[in-house]
Amino acid sequence: MISSVTNWRQTKDIYVKVGKVGKIISWTKIFVAPTGFENDVPYYVAIIEFGKEKRNTMQLVDFDKEPSLGQNVITVVRRIGKQKPAEVIQYGIKAKLYE
Amino acid sequence: MRNEQTMSMKINVQGIGMTKFGELWDRDVVDLAQEAAKKAILDSGISAQKIDAVFVANMLSSKLGNQDHLGAVITSQLGLSVPAVRVEGACASGGLAIHQGVQAILSGLYETVLVVGVEKMTDVSSCEITTALMGAGAEEERMAGLTFPGLYALLARCHMEAYGTTREHMAAVAVKNHFHASMNDHAHFPFEVTVEKVLRSASISFPFTLFDASPISDGAAAVVLSKKSVKKGVCITGSAVATDTIGLAARKSLTTLTATAIAGEKARKQAGILLSDIDVVEVHDCFTIAEIMAMEDLGFCQKGEGGEFIASGHTRLGNKMPVNTSGGLKACGHPVAATGVKQIVEVVHQLRKTAGDRQVKGAKVGLTHNVGGTGGTVVVHILQI
Repeated sequence: MISSVTNWRQTKDIYVKVGKVGKIISWTKIFVAPTGFENDVPYYVAIIEFGKEKRNTMQLVDFDKEPSLGQNVITVVRRIGKQKPAEVIQYGIKAKLYE
Repeated sequence: MRNEQTMSMKINVQGIGMTKFGELWDRDVVDLAQEAAKKAILDSGISAQKIDAVFVANMLSSKLGNQDHLGAVITSQLGLSVPAVRVEGACASGGLAIHQGVQAILSGLYETVLVVGVEKMTDVSSCEITTALMGAGAEEERMAGLTFPGLYALLARCHMEAYGTTREHMAAVAVKNHFHASMNDHAHFPFEVTVEKVLRSASISFPFTLFDASPISDGAAAVVLSKKSVKKGVCITGSAVATDTIGLAARKSLTTLTATAIAGEKARKQAGILLSDIDVVEVHDCFTIAEIMAMEDLGFCQKGEGGEFIASGHTRLGNKMPVNTSGGLKACGHPVAATGVKQIVEVVHQLRKTAGDRQVKGAKVGLTHNVGGTGGTVVVHILQI
């Protein structure tokens, strides 16, 4: 469980990160998840390259087919994992296909 | 930088000891540490009262066992009241603790130190241990729901894409290390597997299956290091640590662990040896791709050729350059902070010619390679007899 303060700190610059277009440079499909992500399996995680220097790691969402290296994606705001009823809901950056 | 690379280093490994690695339901973290420590002290021929300090490697006892202050917990069990320090560097904790022990002796402050690496991992669910281990990753990676199999799978995908490394190459690592473990009665999985078995086991994180991964293990290993040589034996002649970014996304290369290359070169320079002098190697094969990358980054083969190098049998016992004769993390087991110390124990056995059926003939120089996270910390040691 994370506190509301931790949640704020982790997501305070979320508006800067959303809507960015990048390309997949590596991806994997997770079948055994950490706590909070058990209900999401299987899910895709990728390293995305934004321009020449900037890379980030994030989940891929709304992928009906297996991702491909070099595929373009765009960052979106989505819920992160699953919290218990009394816990703060976490939001963060994920990426979906950009065509 | 100080004369780290030219400093003459000759630290005697006086005693070694380890527990069996595995799912040890009847043992807690203190039981395990105590058994390994007592074996190492007995093997050293030195009285416990001669130990000047204790370095305890551990990553997870705070999270999983609610036990902090582990240094004093272990010295009190051994009836000692000397300084005791816990060392944490994720899965490289054991190698780091050895490095700290070496430094402590080189400083002149202590003459004899005990280094213990211990981890108790099997009391919790796979979800819980997966979460706990991700403490060694970056915040962004935890937010993405990544796991360590996932992180190394991301590296594997890049290696496959860049160099044509195949699933069969990776499976060959598991097959070789299980073969070695089949001769090690301390191993978690002392049995052989086939390439087909590796490829057809359950998916854990594409492209890895279960048999690409080292297991969740309990266990401990210990060594007694000394400035003076009580008996003729094995010495540490190189001890180097290098670090890198915690998160993979910030790395310049996703097919190389730069810290491995840096630590490997530094340790060899300290010892004054060439790659061709090395007879036996224990590398950090937490996942099959990790051994392939380690062989390349340490310089034993060209970049991109690690898969074929291993699959062709070069590193199997009886051939040119045996690697992971203990069974490695993959089959001997991976109680995370014990691993770096266990690697030293295995190489000392090889150099003392006490490795039994898995003895490398004529071994005189050995190398250990211990990785924390995805290469955020790497420790390399050179041992000689």
